[in-house]
This record gives sequence, C-alpha cells and structure tokens, in this order.
Amino acid sequence: MAEDKTITLTLKVWRQKNAEDKGHFEIYKAKDINENMSFLEMLDVINDTLTLNNQTPIAFDHDCREGICGSCGAMVNGVAHGPVSGVTLCQLHMRSFNDGDTVVIEPFRAKSLPVIQDLVIDRTAFDRIIAKGGYISVKTGSAPEANDTPIEKKKADASFDAAACIGCSACVAACPNASASLFVSAKVSHLVLLPQGHAEKKRVVQMVDQMDKEGFGGCSNAYQCQAACPKEIKVENIARMNREYIKEKSIR
Amino acid sequence: MAKLKSNEPSGPVSEKWEKHKFDMKLVNPANKRKLKIIVVGTGLAGASASASLGELGYNVHTFTYHESARRAHSIAAQGGINAAKNYCNDGDSVQRLFFDTVKGGDFRAREANVHRLAENSVKIIDHCVAQGVPFAREYGGLLDNRSFGGAQVSRTFYAKGQTGQQLLLGAYQAMMKEVEAKTVTLHTRAEMMDLVVVDGKARGIIVRNLLTGELEKHAADAVVLATGGYGNVFYLSTNAMACNVTSTWRAHKKGAYFANPCYTQIHPTCIPVKGDYQSKLTLMSESLRNDGRVWVPNAVGDHRPAKDIPEDERDYYLERKYPSFGNLVPRDLASRNAKEQTDLGKGINGGLAVYLDFADSIKRLGKDTIEARYGNLFDMYQQITGTNPYESPMMIYPAVHYTMGGLWVDYNLESTIPGLHVLGEANFSDHGANRLGASALMQGLSDGYFIIPNTIGHYFGSNDLGKVTTDAPEFDEALNNVQEKINQLVNIKGSKTVDHFHRELGLLVWDKCGMARDKAGLEEALKRIPEIRDEFWDNVNVTGDGQFNQTLEKAGRVADFLEFGELMCQDALHREESCGGHFRTEHQTKEGEALRNDDDFCFVSGWEYNEGKKAKLNTEDLTFKDVPLSQRSYK
Amino acid sequence: MLKLSTIQKKQIVGITGLAMVGFVLAHLSGNFLIYKGPEAFNGYAKFLHDLGALLWMMRAGILASFLLHMGFTINLVITNRKARVNRYYKYQNHRSESSLATQLMPLSGSIILIYIIFHLLDFSLADKVGIIQGIDYGLYGLVINTLKDPIHAVLYIISMASVGLHMYHAFQSVFQTFGLMSEKNQPRLVLASKVLGVAITLGYSSIPVYIMMNF
Ligand SMILES: Cc1cc2nc3c(=O)[nH]c(=O)nc-3n(C[C@H](O)[C@H](O)[C@H](O)COP(=O)(O)OP(=O)(O)OC[C@H]3O[C@@H](n4cnc5c(N)ncnc54)[C@H](O)[C@@H]3O)c2cc1C
Ligand code: HEM
Ligand code: FES
Repeated sequence: MAEDKTITLTLKVWRQKNAEDKGHFEIYKAKDINENMSFLEMLDVINDTLTLNNQTPIAFDHDCREGICGSCGAMVNGVAHGPVSGVTLCQLHMRSFNDGDTVVIEPFRAKSLPVIQDLVIDRTAFDRIIAKGGYISVKTGSAPEANDTPIEKKKADASFDAAACIGCSACVAACPNASASLFVSAKVSHLVLLPQGHAEKKRVVQMVDQMDKEGFGGCSNAYQCQAACPKEIKVENIARMNREYIKEKSIR
Repeated sequence: MAKLKSNEPSGPVSEKWEKHKFDMKLVNPANKRKLKIIVVGTGLAGASASASLGELGYNVHTFTYHESARRAHSIAAQGGINAAKNYCNDGDSVQRLFFDTVKGGDFRAREANVHRLAENSVKIIDHCVAQGVPFAREYGGLLDNRSFGGAQVSRTFYAKGQTGQQLLLGAYQAMMKEVEAKTVTLHTRAEMMDLVVVDGKARGIIVRNLLTGELEKHAADAVVLATGGYGNVFYLSTNAMACNVTSTWRAHKKGAYFANPCYTQIHPTCIPVKGDYQSKLTLMSESLRNDGRVWVPNAVGDHRPAKDIPEDERDYYLERKYPSFGNLVPRDLASRNAKEQTDLGKGINGGLAVYLDFADSIKRLGKDTIEARYGNLFDMYQQITGTNPYESPMMIYPAVHYTMGGLWVDYNLESTIPGLHVLGEANFSDHGANRLGASALMQGLSDGYFIIPNTIGHYFGSNDLGKVTTDAPEFDEALNNVQEKINQLVNIKGSKTVDHFHRELGLLVWDKCGMARDKAGLEEALKRIPEIRDEFWDNVNVTGDGQFNQTLEKAGRVADFLEFGELMCQDALHREESCGGHFRTEHQTKEGEALRNDDDFCFVSGWEYNEGKKAKLNTEDLTFKDVPLSQRSYK
Repeated sequence: MLKLSTIQKKQIVGITGLAMVGFVLAHLSGNFLIYKGPEAFNGYAKFLHDLGALLWMMRAGILASFLLHMGFTINLVITNRKARVNRYYKYQNHRSESSLATQLMPLSGSIILIYIIFHLLDFSLADKVGIIQGIDYGLYGLVINTLKDPIHAVLYIISMASVGLHMYHAFQSVFQTFGLMSEKNQPRLVLASKVLGVAITLGYSSIPVYIMMNF
C-alpha cells in the first residue's frame, strides 16, 4: 500500500487552567502528522509529547470518537468543529489540512458554557433545559401497543431528523448571540411532530424560559447554527418552535 | 468451590416471571421516599432504571463520570433493538426469540433470564414509542423491521443507524423529568471509585468529583451498578474511550463474584486498524450484512483492486459455508471466519481486512434505497477512510465490541453482595457466550425499565436494613484507600504515558485472549500482565495535580484493567472448551467450528476475589430444559 | 424588561418592523408624486393634513411602532451581547451562511435612527417654505431645495441604502420569527426580501438623483 502522506502544522491552542484563570494561547508544532489521523488523534500525539516533557496535556472532552456522543468540539480556525461541514471534531481528519498550515484551536465559548479547563466546557445548562420539558410524560408500564398509532412517514422522518441532535453546543458556539435556539427547537420539534408528544403544550414555553434564564441570547435569524451543526439540523425547527410558542401563548 | 444459586422461581419457564412478580414483596408507597438508591451509570440500563425507580417514588441518586447523562456509551449503538412483535408475520414469537438467544449464546446463558428478556422485549418497544423514540416507519405509518445476525426472522426495530442514540435520549429524558420532579438527584462528572459494604450489605460508594478532585462519601439503602462493559481492556475496541471496568472491578474486590470474564465479543464488521496512532475502532453496524456480501479473493496473493477481480475468482465464504444463514451468521462465526481467511493470507492485499460488498444490492435495489437504509454509515465510512463505499466495497475486519461477562447476578439481578444490583452490560446475565445483534439494548432496557423496579422492592421488603450514614468507619476506610492510590499515581512521575501501558496490555490480550486462544498463549499473558502492571506502578507519568485531571482519570482506569486482564485470561485458561466468543484452538471440530464441552463446562464461572492470590472459582450449573443442548448449526 | 421571553420580544420587533415596512412603502408611493409636479405633491400633503384626527392616530401608531421596535431591539442586543461576552480570537462566518445585511442590522438600524431625527428637523418640523426662482412652492419647494444640496443628497442616499439593507434581511426574517418559514418557502422569501431592500433603496434614492439632475 502507498505510504500515507504526513504534514506539519503550527497549532495555536487555548490553554486555561480553570474557570477563574484568564487563559492564553500556547504555540505547539505538530510534526509529521499522518493525514489519516483524526483531529483528536493528532491532539493525542501532542499530548503524549507534552506528558513526556512533564507538561500538562491539553484537556478536551471526547468519548465515542464517532460523532454521536456530542462530547467533543472546539473552534478550529474560527469554525465550530472545523472546516468540514456535517461532521464533529472527532470525525475531522487531518487530510483536511495542508502542510504548513497554522491552526487556531479555541474552546466553544458563551457565557452559559463556561470553560472548565483548556477546551473543556460546562454544558450542564442543556440538561437543565431538557429537564423543563424535553420529554414525553409516560410512566413505565403504561404505554399502549406500539402500532396502535400510525405516524405519517414524513412527520416521523422530520421528527427523527430533529432528534438527531447530539447536544454538542456547536450551535451556541457559532451563534453571534450565543443563542441555544437550534438546540431547544430541535427537541421541541422532535417531540411535537409526534402524536405522542403533542399533548404537552407547555413544553415549548418552559424550555424557552429556561433557555433565557440560563443566559443564552435570543435568535436574530443569522443561521450560523445551521451552518455549524454537525448533524445538519435545520433552522426550520426554530420557525416551528416560534410557531408553537405563539400557539401556546395565544390560546391561553 | 461453592455452588451459586440463581434464585429463580420454580415452574415452567414461560410462567416464572409472572409468578415471581406476584410472589415478590412490595414496598408501601409512603416508605419508598425514605429509601435511598444509588444508581451508577446513565446508559440505557442506568437511565431507564433511574427514571423508573424515580417514578415509583424512591429517593434515587444517579452518578456518571460523563458531563451529561446523555453521553453514555449506549448512545453509540447503531443497528437496532430486537422485540418479538411478529409484525412481519414471519413466524416470530417470544418463544422463538428466547430460543434464538439461548442458541446464539451457545448454551451458556440462564434459560429463565432469557425467557424473561424475550417477554419484556415487546413492552420495551411499546414504551419507547410512547416516549417518542422515532423508530423507522413504513410508508403506511407503522413500524418497520429488519433482520440481524443469528435470526431468520425480521424482528429488529431501528432508527436509521442511530438506534442507541434515540433509545438513550428517551431514557435520559425520562430521567431528566424525574430530576425536575426531584425524585432523582443527578451527579455528573462524578466517578465511582469504590463500593462501601457495611455489615455484609452494599451501603454506599466513594465518588471522585472530577471537577474538583474531591472524594465524596455517599450512603444508601441499595446500590445499582449499570456501568457498562470492559471491552477497553483490549485498548482498541469499538467502545467509547472512557468505558472501563473500574466500578465492577472495585465491587469484585469488595466481594462481588465476576462471571465469565473471558466471554468477549469480537464484532465482524469494523473498519480495519490503520496506523499505530489509532485510538479507537469504528463499528459498521451489523445491519449492513443484510445487504452487503462478504468476500475475499480466491487466490492468495491476488492484490488486484476489487473491481478487477471477476466474480468467479471471489470467495463469498460465508455464503459458501453457511448456505442457510449466509452473511447473517452470528457474530462469533463471522469474525472467526474472517480471521481464518486472513490467516490463510487471503485478506485484502494480504492484510487484515475482507470485503463487504454492496454492488449487488445497489444493482438490485438502487442506490437510493441503500442510501436510505445505511446512508449515515456509508458517510461515516467515507469520512474515516477517505474512500466511497458506493463505488468500491467496504474493507472490514473484526474488532472487540461487547463483553458478555460481568458481575454475577441472580434472577433478581442481585450480585453476591446483598443490596448490590447490576444491570446492563455490566452484569453477565443473558447472552451466554455470544450475544446476538440488537439484544444488548433490549437487555439494558429490560433490566432498567421492567426488572429492577420489581426486584429491588423485593430486596427492601425482605431485608431489615438499619440506618447507615457516611459516618460509618467503612466509608472512611474506603475513602482513604482511594486517596492513597491517587496520591501514589500522581507521585510516580515516571517516563511513560498511561496510554503506553494501556496499549501494551491491549495488544497482549488481543493477541493471546482475542479471537482465538490457546493454553500456551494464555499462560504467557498471565506471566506478562503482572510485569506490565509492576512497570506501570513504577514508571507511569501522571502529570498535573489531583484536581480536574483527565490523565489521572485514565490512569485509574488503566490500573484496574491491569488487574482485571489477569482474571480474564485466567478464566479463558480454565474454560477448556470452545463456546461462542471463547474459542480455544485446542477444542474445535474437524471443520474448525467451536467444540463445546457440556459434560465439564456447562456452568457459569463466578470468580471470587482472593487478596494477593489467584481468584477462587465458584460455579452456577446451567440446565437446559426448554432449548435442548445441541451443537449450534447455521449451515 | 417586562417578563417577556426573547421570542416574544423578537416577535414585537418583527410586528412593529413590519408595520414600519408598510409605512416605508406608503411613504415612498407618496414621495413618487414629486415626479408629477408641485400640485400633486402638495395636494397629497394637504390631503394627509386634512385627515386630522386620523392622521394623528397614524402618527401615534407609527411612533409607537418605532419606539417599541427600537426599545426591544436595544434590549435584545444587550441580552445577546451579554450572552456572547466571550469572544473568539478568530471567528469566521460559518460557511458564509449569514449575509452582511444580517450582521449589520444594528448598524443599519442606528443609521436609520439618526436619519429620522434629521429628517424630521429638515421637513416635518421646518417651515413649509420652498422658494424656487422667486416662487414659494411650499413643501414641494422645501424638498427640492434641501436635496439640491449635494451633501444632503448623499447623506439621504446613504440613509436610504441603510433602510434597504435593513429590509434586505428584515422582511424574510419576520416570517422566521413568526414561524411561517419552512425549508420550502425560504428561498422565495429570501429573494422577496432582497428585492424589497433593493427596490426601496432605488426608489427613494431616485428622488435626490432626479432633483440634482433637474434643478
Ligand atoms: C459501536 C457499538 C454499537 C452497538 N450497537 C448495538 C446495537 O445495534 N444493538 C444492540 O443491542 N447493542 C449494540 N451495542 C451494545 C450496546 O450499545 C451496549 O451493550 C449497551 O448500550 C450498554 O449499555 P449500559 O447501559 O449497560 O452501559 P453504558 O451505556 O456503557 O453506560 C455506562 C454508564 O456508566 C457510567 N459509568 C461507568 N463507570 C462509572 C464509574 N466508575 N463511575 C460513574 N459512572 C460510571 C458511564 O458514565 C455511563 O453513563 C453496540 C455497542 C457498540 C460499542
Ligand atoms: C430606530 C431605528 C431602528 C433600529 C435601531 C433598528 C434595529 C433593528 C435590529 C437590531 C433588528 C434585528 C433584531 C434582531 O434580530 O434581534 C431589527 C429588525 C427589524 N427591523 Fe429594524 N431598526 C430600526 C428601524 C426600522 C425601520 C424604520 C423599519 C421598517 C422600515 C425596521 C424594520 C425591521 C424589521 C422588519 C425587522 C425584522 C424583525 C424580525 O426579524 O422579525 N426597522 N431592527
Ligand atoms: S467524541 Fe463523541 S461526538 Fe466526538
């Protein structure tokens, strides 16, 4: 088999000890990086070197490394999850870079997503939003037979597309207003599109209120979220959320 | 050697669970609030258990080392979940799912448990649909099914290639609802470091707050572990990076028996290893074998590109050897056959890979249909490998995927430590020596939604639990031990990384205790593992301090793998037979199939920790009344 | 401000904005009468005046829309800036998804605000006297005389470009805000919005250009 190509990069990485630390950039040389490596594997290599030099490795969250758990993520040259659309940082491969590139790596930033260390951020605000209504209330054991309620395929598919959200917060990170509208609307859409989820009307209001309370911004329809979303979730969901919101507020 | 008792109820297998549900003791609703349950893990098993126990009114405290409960490894499951709904009218039934699972497990599972699992499968689908899990549907709006390995019926429910994600989100959301209702208290970035046993009963855990590094003591009336499998002992696996054996291993050291650690599943369709920088392997869902055909070139040394190899010079070896199941043989068979082909030198370019080819299906069904079925998997493949699977066949190779072994539990999912219950992949229960595709999700949810809510009440109802607080000396003792170990790790300041040792251990066990095992290899591994372990404790470099420190987290987990790996090899060495995922080369038929030894090994091995010495063996005898013992055949 | 959610505030911004779009279009059609000569133009102004109470109601409506629009956008902009306190060292417009018009909404809006103040001082609050070659043409003359001045004319055109730029994003955006946007109709709405923005800029700007060329 042909030899894999290797490249050398200059990394400019955000280092921050803890939430209180001001943080700063640190420059690292990434030498002879195999282009078949994933971006996180490239960071592994840097971290190995740092460790062997008794320096603290770069902290970053990651787990599944196949784009589904939503743990990973960083701004790469100013773009959430890096230059390839429709993938997470762990799915980004080094063949997307050129020899000699400088790569700026920053954590996802927003007031409501404070940095914990280096590239690790606190996304618990998302959990608190879900807790306010991101579910269908059905007690274990009380469900009717699954095929009793047919669901129009188009709706079921749209619901699935919205449910594909991995909660990585790239939408917030990319938004000029640090709004969580895409995240919230994806959950609202997933559930409201299904007959099972239709009954809980207050969901949308409670979730939006919690989003505001957490300190996320409002939506200015700039659609940066849609462009950043690794699961290509559409702003159509935000329109649906707005619609559901009006319906609920005006009916009462 | 003691005999382990399954505590299953008497009577015909199909009536046991109903009978048991009636016989079990109940807890008065007002008293449930006063009972505190610790659940460790928020995967399918842990989240579903937390949600259901919270609904019942128990005071539930749930822990996960993840930053959010939704990140648990279950999220990555792709292919689907089985249920005996018989929506396809193809002859499925609870009885058949039960039969397939016992047989698929190569007759090393407990019949009563498997039957209960098959019964619950139906309710799981109902519940998940009611929760809003967007399963795939047909145009008419009803649920769609596909088939998976080891079955001749279509009983697998799926949500594109993201079934685990959707099921987990359902369970996670149900749990978050209980968090809002204050019946569940969620502790994230909180890693269980030890189990606390007081008066012989599980009464609490020691937790490390991963943000601050502080150790915390938590007391409870019962502890539930749902912490997943130990596949990462092999370093490279399809498991998420953080999956580990710590919680079950620490529980084992506190007295819980570890069952069948040598039963590990090697999944046949993964993206082959490339380069030594590789950090994990990616699974290509088994569902692909519905429409993909596995083949290698006929001739050793045929290194032409796939498209230049004519039909009659290809060997579709699964279809050839197993005409009735073809590409859909169970995983252990598919994996071992791939290894056999590459051992013969017939792998692609002579290496460790075989083809999974969709050309025929694309021709027959059209690219659109294939894209609708597997679009995201194909994209994932292209993203990783840089080649387009619509144009040239996928290259695949087996990789570690799932662990059938785990803490021993009885019919009530209670371990040998009273009050310690174990759910999901963390227990050994229902899959015997080989798990069929789409049945882990089913088991995790069956355990969490439908079994533990009943059996834990029975535990409370039949035990007089005194009050225990974190002031008990057992808590301090456990905490001090954990602290000491952490101090030790950060002070070694050696010259090798944690990953270095993990990789070394992984390669060793993959080689000696992987797809094929033999006495000599296992003995060698048993000699090497303690050496690696000693070097680890001598020469590992854990930088940073005791606060938020990802290297330290990893080091603690690898330290436990280095102990656990030995038990895994010991079990493999002891089990002088081949069954399911455990293939001892000394024990095979003339055709190279696994040869069971039912006379001497028709039992579950439950290993008992023995401080400083070899673990002690206890066994649970298995009897097969409803699915008669037979040589598995998929021909 | 009040107990309104960001969505509700944005909806107020949208509905008031839409009202002002209506106003801007009506205003433009009135302005076009300048091409018909002084009688037509001044007659239109008189017609409006003669509406009396109705005119005052319209003025109150437009003023309320204006104040609400401004108030809530300022409030939202502050909320949004606060949410985004942590800025990036390097930030790129993601896959060029958002247009310059979108990014410049606060700027174009602010220019409109400044413009409106001067606009009121120039025309509404000034004496309606406009002497051209010794004859007083009233409001008609005032407009001609004001916009004859190249500096005035250029500033007026820049302001109208800002209005157009605001519209370029704003019109379609209202549909998203009220949940009427879907993947299907989005391209058409975006196009309509762009056409509207350009048309308003060209329409309004044609007047100073016409005046400069003819007077
Ligand atoms: C790539 C892949 C695809 C799969 N596809 C399928 C499929 O299609 N169908 C199928 O049936 N099965 C599939 N499986 C198997 C299945 O996903 C798993 O067996 C199952 O999800 C395990 O669920 P669990 O709840 O037991 O554990 P996990 O989901 O692994 O959850 C473990 C939880 O425990 C927590 N935890 C662990 N240790 C600690 C500790 N010490 N302290 C605190 N918290 C701890 C973790 O944070 C996590 O929340 C697949 C597996 C893989 C790897
Ligand atoms: C005081 C002057 C003005 C200021 C400061 C201003 C500012 C803004 C800002 C910042 C927004 C974006 C709000 C957001 O997305 O969060 C906006 C939206 C909008 N503006 Fe203005 N604006 C002004 C005048 C006008 C005028 C005169 C009109 C009409 C001709 C107008 C019509 C609109 C419309 C229709 C929207 C879109 C609302 C939506 O997206 O739903 N604005 N304005
Ligand atoms: S590590 Fe799971 S999405 Fe990237």
